[in-house]
Amino acid sequence: MSKMLTTGFAALVAAGLMTAAPAVAQEPYKIGMSAGLTGYAATVDRAWRDGVEVAIAALNAKGGIMGRKLELVVEDNKSEPQEAVTVYRKMMSSDKVNIFISGCVSAGNFAAAGLVARAEIPMVLCSILPQQPDQVKWAFSTLPPAGFEVDTRLKYLMDKTQIRKIGVLHDPTPYANLQKNHAQKVAADYGLEVVGVESYKQDDADLSVQISKMHAAGARAILKIGLGGTTLTAAKNIKQLGLDMLMLTSLEDIAVFKPVAEVLGDKFFFVASPSQVYDVLPDGPLKAALTAFLTPWRAKHGDRDPNWASRGWDAVMLTAAAIEKEKSFEGPKVRDGLESISGFQGTTGVYNMSPTVHQGITTNPLLLATIVDGKVKVVQ
Amino acid sequence: MTEAGSAATRVLDVAGLSARYGHIEALHPTDVRVEDRELVAILGPNGAGKSTLMRAIMGLVENAGTVRFRGRPLPRRAPEACAADGVVLVPEGRGIFGPMSVAENLELGAYLSGSKAEFERRQERVFSLFPRLKERLSQVAGSLSGGEQQMLAIGRALMSDPKILLLDEPSLGLAPRVVEEILGSLSALNREGLPILLVEQKAPLALKIAQRAYLLSVGRVIAEIDPRKVSSYDEIAHYYLS
Amino acid sequence: MTKSPTITFPDMTRRGLGALPWIAAAGVLAYAFFVGGYLTTVMSFALIYVVFVTGLNVFMGYAGQVSFGHNAFAALSGYTSAYLTTSHGFAPLPAFGAGLALALSCALIVGYPTLRLKGHYLAMATLAIGLIVYEVAVEWTSVTQGYMGISGIPPIGIAGYEITSERGQLAFLTVIVALATLVSWRIRESRFGRALSAVAGSEDAARALGISASRYKLSAFLASAAFAALAGSLFVHVVGFVSPEVYGLHMVVLAFTMLYVGGIGTIAGPFVGAVIISLLPEMFRQFKDYQDLAYGAALILLLIYAPRGLSTISSLFRRAAAKKAVVS
Repeated sequence: MSKMLTTGFAALVAAGLMTAAPAVAQEPYKIGMSAGLTGYAATVDRAWRDGVEVAIAALNAKGGIMGRKLELVVEDNKSEPQEAVTVYRKMMSSDKVNIFISGCVSAGNFAAAGLVARAEIPMVLCSILPQQPDQVKWAFSTLPPAGFEVDTRLKYLMDKTQIRKIGVLHDPTPYANLQKNHAQKVAADYGLEVVGVESYKQDDADLSVQISKMHAAGARAILKIGLGGTTLTAAKNIKQLGLDMLMLTSLEDIAVFKPVAEVLGDKFFFVASPSQVYDVLPDGPLKAALTAFLTPWRAKHGDRDPNWASRGWDAVMLTAAAIEKEKSFEGPKVRDGLESISGFQGTTGVYNMSPTVHQGITTNPLLLATIVDGKVKVVQ
Repeated sequence: MTEAGSAATRVLDVAGLSARYGHIEALHPTDVRVEDRELVAILGPNGAGKSTLMRAIMGLVENAGTVRFRGRPLPRRAPEACAADGVVLVPEGRGIFGPMSVAENLELGAYLSGSKAEFERRQERVFSLFPRLKERLSQVAGSLSGGEQQMLAIGRALMSDPKILLLDEPSLGLAPRVVEEILGSLSALNREGLPILLVEQKAPLALKIAQRAYLLSVGRVIAEIDPRKVSSYDEIAHYYLS
Repeated sequence: MTKSPTITFPDMTRRGLGALPWIAAAGVLAYAFFVGGYLTTVMSFALIYVVFVTGLNVFMGYAGQVSFGHNAFAALSGYTSAYLTTSHGFAPLPAFGAGLALALSCALIVGYPTLRLKGHYLAMATLAIGLIVYEVAVEWTSVTQGYMGISGIPPIGIAGYEITSERGQLAFLTVIVALATLVSWRIRESRFGRALSAVAGSEDAARALGISASRYKLSAFLASAAFAALAGSLFVHVVGFVSPEVYGLHMVVLAFTMLYVGGIGTIAGPFVGAVIISLLPEMFRQFKDYQDLAYGAALILLLIYAPRGLSTISSLFRRAAAKKAVVS
C-alpha cells in the first residue's frame, strides 16, 4: 500500500510541476478577474465582467495589444474576502495572470491587495482603492470619486429648487459611507443643511421610521445612498406617508428605477452615468467613446444597462493604453503606464492618473436624470 | 411494621416535598422516610408521580420542602451534591452512556473517588454481583441487552459507593426472568446493609423484597403498606383503581 | 457475486485504514508545502479552520452541546489583534492575548447564565451573540472601519522574526494545528473529557453520579471559545486584512459542514473535514457556474456514504467487508 501511495504522490507532484511549465513565447496577455458573480455584488460584477469581455473581444478582433491577444480568467469570489484571497492566489500561481481587472467587492480586493502588490501585479478595480500606501501603489480605480454622486444632487437642489434642508439615507457599505460623509462635509457649500442622517440595512423591508424622522426635522429632499430594492421601499414609504419630499438616489441600473418612477413620478431623480443617457448626449469626444463601446455592447446585450459594463470597458482600454505607452507587458511597466495616463477619454469621463491620484476620473461626469412617461430625461 | 426509628438511624427523611414542571405541580407535598438497612418501595400507577418524587429528592426538578440524609439537609438544586453525600439515583431508562464501553461507564460511576485501590475494590464488588459485566468490560454499552444495561446502570451507581440507592423502575422493558434477577440482586445488596428506595410499577414483585411500601396516586402518598400484612393483592389493586 | 479473497478483514489492514484519513489529509498538506501554488493558500485557510472546528468539536462533539455563535469569539479576537497591531503597535502575541481575554470574557458572560439551564437557551444565545458581534463590527467604524475593514495587519512573528512567506505560514499553521489536535486528544482522553461525554450522553445521569454538568459545559464552552479566538487571530495575521464578512454566518455553516463531514466527536474529524471541505470547491472549480452544484452533490454523497464522518471511514470498510462476507 505504501508503494501505491508513493507512486500516487509522485504522480500528483508531477502533475503539479507540469502546470508550472515555463511560458511559451507569445502566449496571450492574461487578465485575471476576481468578481462577486454570486452573493451581494452579483448584479454589478456580472455587468462589469460582461463589459470587460466585450472590450477584450473588440481588442482581439483588432489583433490584440501590440500583436498579443488577450485572455480573460474570471473567478467567482462569492462576494466574500476569504474566497477572494483564494481566487486571487489561484489566478496568480495557476493561471499566471499579468494584470487584475477585478470587480466591486472592496473587502475582497483589500484582502488580496497585499499579496498582489508583493507580486508586482497591477490591478484596475471597479471598487474603491485599498488604504495601505504600498498596496494603493499597484491599484487603480475606474470609479468616480464618491463625492461626485453627491455633488451632482446637491447642485441640482441648489440651482433648481427652493429646498434648503435635506436628509441623508444610506446603507453601511464603504461606498455609501464615503458619500454620506461627503454630503455632510459639503452641503453648506451648496447652501444646504443636512438635518438628518439615517442608516438602514440592505434587506430592510420598511424605511418609514427613518423617512418620517428626517421629514419631521424639516428635510424636504432625501439623498438615498445605496443599491438595491430599498430604493423602491423608500419610494413607497414616502408615498404611503403622504410626504411632500423629493428623493434623489445614487447611480444604479436604470431597470431598478422604472417602478420607482411609477410610485414617485416627478419627485424622483437619480444620478446617471453618461452611458445610461447616451441617446440624449450632445456629440463630442464623450459620445464618440461611448459609441465605440455601446455598438458592440448593444449588439451582444441589447438594451441592458451599460453603466457598470462601461467601467469594465474603460478598465481594459486603460490597460491597453498603458501597455502601448510603455511598450511593455511587464507588471511594473504597466503600472507606471497606468499612473501616467492623462486626458484619456473613457466612457464615463476623462481619466487623469498621477502618482497621488489612482482614481482617474477627476472632473464630475455624472448627470441628474428623471423618468418622464417611461423615458429617461436629463435635468442637469 | 418497622416503627419510625430515631432521627439518628433514619437514613432518608423527606418532609413536605413538592415538585413542579412549569406551572403544573406534579408532586404535592409528600412525606417519605427510609430507615437504616431498609428497602422501601414506592408503588403506584403510571403518572402517579413516582419518578418525579425520585427526581425531586435528587434535586433534578424544581422542588420545595426538605430532604434530610442522616439528619443533614440535602441541597434542593444540586444533584451533584446529593451524589457526593452518597445519595445516588439510577434514573428511569437507566441513563447509561451508550457510546462508551462498559469499563468507561463504571469509571464514570467512580467519578468522585480518586483512589485507585478503592476503585478496584468497588469494581470487584460490582463484578461479584453482576459477573456478566466483567465479561462485557470492553464492549460498547449501547450494544448490551436491556438486562445487562440495567445491571450496568446499577453497577455504575455502586461504583460511587452509595450510602443509599435510589432506583427508578429498574424493571422497565425487561423480560420477567431478568426482572427477577435484577430485583434479587437488589435484595442481596439490601441484605448487606445498603438502604434502598425503589420505584416500581410491578407491585407484587416489589412487595416481595420490600420491608415497607408507599402507594402514590396523582402526586400524593395515599397509603403506607406493610408487605407482611398484605393478604391479597386485591387490596392494592383496589387503590390502583380508585 | 465474484469470489473475493478478502472475506476476513485482518486487523492490521483495518488499523491501516483507520489511519487513511490522516494520511490522505497529511499528504495534501505535504503536497501544498512542497509544490506550493495556490493550494498553499487553500490549505492555510483549511488549517485555520481546523483550529476553529477543533474547538467546536470539544463543545459539540465531546460535550454534546450546540453553538451557532462561535464566529463571535473568532471575530472578537481577530478584531482585537487587528486593531491593537495596526493602531497601537502591539506585537501579534500580546494582541492575541488581549483578544483571547476578550473572547473568553464574552463566552463567560453568555455561557454562565445560559449553560445552567437545560435545553436550547445557549444555542439561541450564541446565535444572538454571533449576530450582535457582526453588527458591532459593521457599525463601530472608529475602531473596526466597518465594511472598509482593517488592512496592513502585520504577519505572525516569533521573537522579532516575521513569517512572511506563504510556505513559512503554512509550516507555522501546521505546528499550531498539531498542537491543537494534541490538546483535543488529551482533553478527550482525560477525566474532564470523560465527564464531558457523560454530560453529552445524559445530563441527568451524569449529575446523579456527581458530575457537575453546568460546570463542565461551561468549561468546554470556554475551551472551545479559546480555539475559536485563536483561529480568528490567525486569520487576520495570515491575510493581513479583516472585515466583518470574514466572520459572518457562513463561517458557522462552513464549520458545521467540516465537523459533520469529518466526523463529530472524533479526534481526526476537524482536520479531515476542514481539509476535504476546503479542497472540494477547488476540485470543482473548472465546472465554473456548476461549481456550487457539484460541491453540494459531493457533500450529499459524503453524508450518505459516511454519515458518521470521513474519519470513521475504516468502520465503513469493515461494514462493506462484513456485507461482502454475508453475500458470498
